[in-house]
Amino acid sequence: MSIEIIVSPNGESRVETKGFAGSSCREASQFIESALGKRVGEELTPEFHQQTASQHVQQWDR
Amino acid sequence: MSHIVQIQTEVRDPLAVRSACDRLKLPQPTQGEFKLFSAKAVGLGVELPGWRYPVVCDTASGQIHFDNYGGRWGEQSRLDAFLQRYALEKASIEARRKGHTVVEQPLEDGSIKLTVQIGGAA
Repeated sequence: MSIEIIVSPNGESRVETKGFAGSSCREASQFIESALGKRVGEELTPEFHQQTASQHVQQWDR
Repeated sequence: MSHIVQIQTEVRDPLAVRSACDRLKLPQPTQGEFKLFSAKAVGLGVELPGWRYPVVCDTASGQIHFDNYGGRWGEQSRLDAFLQRYALEKASIEARRKGHTVVEQPLEDGSIKLTVQIGGAA
């Protein structure tokens, strides 16, 4: 599991989580995001939605 | 699984400001009140190369104050480089504080990538 931070030449940052299970990625990178500054946008990747969907399926199966 | 967040840098950590100055070989910042042409600002003053007035970091609010007269009294690229280095130093400090390893890698477009390994990877 990792967090990638790409800092552009003008100092703006892009934080991306990789390899986390479901929405835990949001908690994992929170400490870096809040330390760097103000959040101006968020994009959930297809993998995030796929994992969330599969979690719902598992819950229905029980 | 993944998500991507865009962040606008706020300069709130004096330690990361000092670390950024070290890495960029700038004079150490000093706390005080600084004159910016006709205005004044209080905070941590950073001297950028070729700039007439310091960049003043108000670490309480995260805001920076400067007057480079649209580039005539100091190149914008110097300020951008400082903000980039500040963000890298701040992210590294926070990651190491939690015991994570950090690897820095320059990219072709001038961006710099920081990879923080979570979960015991060496």
